[in-house]
Amino acid sequence: MILGYMVFTGNTMLKTQRIVLGISRSYTAKAKRIVLAQDKTKIKEYSPKTTDNHEHRVYVWGFQETGALGIQTNVKKAKERYTEMVHHPTRLQFSNNNEITDVAAGYGFTAYAVKRDDGETLFGSGLNTDSQLGFQVKGNPNDPANLDVIIYPTAIKLPRVQGETDEDMRVKNMSAGRAHLVVLTQNGTIFTLGNNSYGQCGRSIIEEERYSKSALIHRISQEDICGKEDEVVQVECGQDHSMFLTKKGRVYTCGWGADGQTGQGNYHTAGQITLIGGDIEKEKIVRLSCSSDCVLALNEAGDAFGWGNSEYGQLDDSELAETQINIPRALKLTKSLGKIKDVAAGGSFCMALNDQGLVYTWGFGILGFGPFVEQTSKPQHLLPPLFGRNDFSNETTVVSIGCGVFHMGAVNSDGDLFMWGKNRFGHLGLGHKKDQFFPFKTAINGKVTKVAYGVDHTIALCKSFF
Amino acid sequence: MEITLALIKPHVLRNTYAMQQIRALISQNFTVLDQKEVCITKELSERFYAEHKGKFFYHRLTSFMNSGPCYALILQSEACIQKWRSLLGPTKVFRAVYSDPNCIRALYGLSDTRNACHGSDSEASALREISILFPEFDAAVGSRQAKRKT
Repeated sequence: MILGYMVFTGNTMLKTQRIVLGISRSYTAKAKRIVLAQDKTKIKEYSPKTTDNHEHRVYVWGFQETGALGIQTNVKKAKERYTEMVHHPTRLQFSNNNEITDVAAGYGFTAYAVKRDDGETLFGSGLNTDSQLGFQVKGNPNDPANLDVIIYPTAIKLPRVQGETDEDMRVKNMSAGRAHLVVLTQNGTIFTLGNNSYGQCGRSIIEEERYSKSALIHRISQEDICGKEDEVVQVECGQDHSMFLTKKGRVYTCGWGADGQTGQGNYHTAGQITLIGGDIEKEKIVRLSCSSDCVLALNEAGDAFGWGNSEYGQLDDSELAETQINIPRALKLTKSLGKIKDVAAGGSFCMALNDQGLVYTWGFGILGFGPFVEQTSKPQHLLPPLFGRNDFSNETTVVSIGCGVFHMGAVNSDGDLFMWGKNRFGHLGLGHKKDQFFPFKTAINGKVTKVAYGVDHTIALCKSFF
Repeated sequence: MEITLALIKPHVLRNTYAMQQIRALISQNFTVLDQKEVCITKELSERFYAEHKGKFFYHRLTSFMNSGPCYALILQSEACIQKWRSLLGPTKVFRAVYSDPNCIRALYGLSDTRNACHGSDSEASALREISILFPEFDAAVGSRQAKRKT
């Protein structure tokens, strides 16, 4: 009884207090309005917090033990902190401090084209056992120990001739192969670094040349390749060969041709850069794609051409199909796809994007159609909803495609990257190690503008959402 | 005990991490009788791959071996020919990555030609291949076989 009474009195005391408070705050309607009216100058306008003001940011993922991802700064710390692979797209610290304009991925190494005040234009990280990232020494110049593995992006000094400015040396286009790197600069000079055992660096082959600890960076003028009237616009490397595409649509090649991937009409190795013909002789080629030994080319009208390895029926599905095609050939099996906008050639499969925005895949591997590894020579398209089209964004369409040796990717008009295929060392960036059987969006904090597909790592060049 | 020849192909030799992993695997499973870095010249690889002569990939194979130094090892263990080949996995890398994702070729192979390592397929070819790459090793094999007989 006593307890209940005390609770009751307590409640009444609270009530009276509240009433008193209410009385002391009795405003007139006008005064209320003044108090409540907001001071607009004090409203903070939201501006996104950006850590840097660079146009591009770079995300990296995949196998990192080779240093290709360039995200470690200390070998000892890395051993404690990191595992051998990075499953999620991770922001490259180097891109916070540098304006990166282009990226290229080879086997276990990456090259970054950079715009900087100090005049350096090219950086690299990863495997350097064939000096594909130039001659690198440890910090102390008196200790010229060559570094086989470079864990953080390091400047690659391109040798200049007198009068060449920083602007001349800016990278226009570049591509990386298994153990070589080809860089095209603004003034039309081509630099080749790394392994030349097949002539893939565009110079004559020297028997038993040592490529590790080599300071040789070979320099080719575009005039020597295509003459004064034309200019090189794209360089593209297969694993052991190189190709040069010019403004007039001509294709020049050098390197390993054992599968016919140089398209020179033979299976030789070629240290001499040579114009190739075949079915593309009179065509204006606008795009080349190659990640291993199978090459796809695209002409202005949207027809596809191919040469090189076709062991999985990628280039030809006829009864007497050859497994190696040594001369460019107009592809019959892509005839029904309409006008093609983009092509990509992987190790055992090919991809094409037509002007409807449909992605076609064929060949051998995980082609994106479901839980199988399949082989087909008939190009089939993946449905647009897989690439982000839905009722709320029915304009979304794929704008570019690409692939590595074992995996495929597509970027849509919203800047989202979708990946599928073999998940070698986590290079699909999906947060796990399992193979992905249909296109799946990778979680990248930015709009993807370019993707460099390596053999076991991937690099994405992105713009901020704002 | 059986012996076999393991040949690590040029592109793996350039990948320091892959080399480390394969070496660890070898030392766990085999006794290494002899090992050396070899430069496989055109003549040497033609002798080595004589059995494939005439096949479409013969030229590709021999010229690939020529692209840099290889690393050759003579391995010994019980049934080591089979054991090494099962560690290697299927010859074709593009198929191996799906059928046998943890084998050496699936992890470090780059294409059907650049398939990471070679392993002898029989006792006879092991001896033949060893005699090509380790001509000085013949005597040792001979003496061991003699010992076994007595």
